Amino acid sequence: MSSDIEKVKKRKQEWEEKVLKPALEGFGLKESPTKSYTPADTEGFDFLSKVGFPGEYPFTAGIYAAQPGMPAPRVGRATAQRRGRPAGPRLVRAAGYSGYGTAEDTRDYYKEMQKRGDRGGPNLAFDLPTQCGYDSDNPMIRGDVGKVGVTVDTLRDFEIIYEPFQGETELDRIASNFTINAPANILIAMYFALAEKRGIPLDKLRATPQNDILKEFIARGTYIFPPRPSMRMFRDSMVFFNKYCPRINITSAGGYHIRGAGATREQDLAFSMAILIAYLQEGVNAGLDVDSFAPRFTINQFGGSMEMFKEIAFHRASRRMYARIVKEKFGAKSQRSMLLRGGRMGAQIGCENTTVQRPLNNLTRSVIGAVASALSGGEGTAYPPYDEPLVMGRGLESSQLARDATRIVHYEAKLGEVRDPLAGSYYIESLTDEIEEAARKELDKIEAMGGAVAAIENGYMQREVAKSAHARQKRIESGEDLMVGVNCFVGEDELELEINHLVPHVYDPVRRDQAEEKQIKNLTELKKSRDNRAVAQLLKKLKTKAKKEEENLIPHFIECAKAYVSEQEMCDVLREVFGEYEPVSL
Amino acid sequence: MNDERKIRVLMAKPGLDGHDRGAKVIALGLRDEGMETIYTGLRQTPEQIVRAAIQEDVDVIGLSCLSGAHKYLFPRVVELLKEQAIEDILVIGGGNIPKEDIPFLKEKGVSEIFTPGTMVGEIADYVRKNAKTRGHQSVASE
Repeated sequence: MSSDIEKVKKRKQEWEEKVLKPALEGFGLKESPTKSYTPADTEGFDFLSKVGFPGEYPFTAGIYAAQPGMPAPRVGRATAQRRGRPAGPRLVRAAGYSGYGTAEDTRDYYKEMQKRGDRGGPNLAFDLPTQCGYDSDNPMIRGDVGKVGVTVDTLRDFEIIYEPFQGETELDRIASNFTINAPANILIAMYFALAEKRGIPLDKLRATPQNDILKEFIARGTYIFPPRPSMRMFRDSMVFFNKYCPRINITSAGGYHIRGAGATREQDLAFSMAILIAYLQEGVNAGLDVDSFAPRFTINQFGGSMEMFKEIAFHRASRRMYARIVKEKFGAKSQRSMLLRGGRMGAQIGCENTTVQRPLNNLTRSVIGAVASALSGGEGTAYPPYDEPLVMGRGLESSQLARDATRIVHYEAKLGEVRDPLAGSYYIESLTDEIEEAARKELDKIEAMGGAVAAIENGYMQREVAKSAHARQKRIESGEDLMVGVNCFVGEDELELEINHLVPHVYDPVRRDQAEEKQIKNLTELKKSRDNRAVAQLLKKLKTKAKKEEENLIPHFIECAKAYVSEQEMCDVLREVFGEYEPVSL
Repeated sequence: MNDERKIRVLMAKPGLDGHDRGAKVIALGLRDEGMETIYTGLRQTPEQIVRAAIQEDVDVIGLSCLSGAHKYLFPRVVELLKEQAIEDILVIGGGNIPKEDIPFLKEKGVSEIFTPGTMVGEIADYVRKNAKTRGHQSVASE
């Protein structure tokens, strides 16, 4: 074997001398613009330990033995036009990320989507006041109510949002997603209170809260409390779900926000792993067996760049790295604990690489992402829709084309036919190793600081990500990194294509604009009509319990929710006890 | 008169939006361009921003918002400056601002809006041309 490698190395040298060099001279080039890889780049490569079979440790080739397929195509004109339930098992997945305005606005949106054939549960986008623990009537947060999602102040809002989800779509028959982090336990307690009022036992509920608070300190920024009390909240949900809600995922952690905030590929991987380690450790410290809870960790989306091969290698490396950590560091025995499990997991381009300039180019970009996704072990999802950066709300036509691109990748190009088709490629295998090794080094550095929580408290992760974002901007400004239509191929020879939505969006912009005023009125009335003495007592009790570190606060949040205590009222008590996070300077 | 004072810029995040890659990149980028920049951090109310601008004696306020709340928050900052009779602070804005909102924001006194894909160099040129260094005449770069 090694003599074969020697032969290859020698031959490569000869080829560089006799073939490559003259060719480059012919082009007037000093250095080759392209690279080539040989078996010498994967010397000692051991297939079984580095790659293995799909669905088997270390999961480099994919977390499932066979990728769960796309919904069966509905062939033929008549059936293709019917947006009925797809063949096969009943759909319990949550629908697309949605929600805006008041609870009434969002309820009416879901009613409309159900009329169009949707049967999934809601995948709720909350507005920023809700994500940051403020009520709609707080004058500090004017302007943000109902903007990027639905506003929720009390259980009343959950009751209204879930009005369309009854009977065939009752709470025990759907899955809900909640994009909520810092106050996740309070919002999920409202959902539990709703279920209890409807007589549905908690162990029948399916849901996935994002509940990934640590990344909020690095990207996205919807933190409330300092990292340590935030970890206590995470522990509470982990322990509570473990005991009472076997069908609720504990977290939907994700590295793509960190990448979107500017992290390099290696930082993204290292920081995400450090965060997952902190969550796993928290569970172990709470006395849980790792195999009892790790299978309900899910991954939102990972990575994100236009560099297709690097993203594919990144995904292979991340699956392997996570599996190794869970097995070696935490001693997990169940393979299910070791999976980076997520919805449409797979490589993608990252929303930050879409452009407002000539926005249809984003379709081309997302198709490259779809190819990367399919080749990296994902579902071949084209994401995001081309109008993503335009803040017009994703249009129906761009969403249709994104879905079609995914279908074309799957059914016409047939990229889903082979699992991990690039396995064994000299380039991809060496790149996979390289990325894992670089991330491992960075992870060691973070672990030496005391782990993710410490590296957030001291500002290391935040500053490193800002530095990387700044470096990327400098590369764009100098032309070292190119973005078509942004810093190159602009000018009079080019056509600056713009787009308009042909089909009106299902969100009503007038309702969105009126949401703040309406919700303030709703909340004022509610606060008048509830039993305010009970509210005061519950909040007092919450304070006493919050002061005891070992106390699990979720049962108490449920009691508060039932009495229509508002989100901010609960958060304010916790702010008093836990303090608020003070961000580090640049 | 050869004035040594650098242009001072307050980069601010009004509202609850936590996407501050852009704000940080511009704060660092304008620093590379020779300006002094202060970044407020997240979740600043218009009142806090104006207070910080006065305390820090800045020439420019850069507002960044990606949550869709710019139509309320940006004009509010300008309004508060006017209430305090401050007329020499240049207010610029950025983020994913829909094109159709730009005339409205300008009418409300935001002097320029920079949308995604703008180079920091371009913003720096604009600032150099339009900022009045407080109490001094700015040094023209040509």
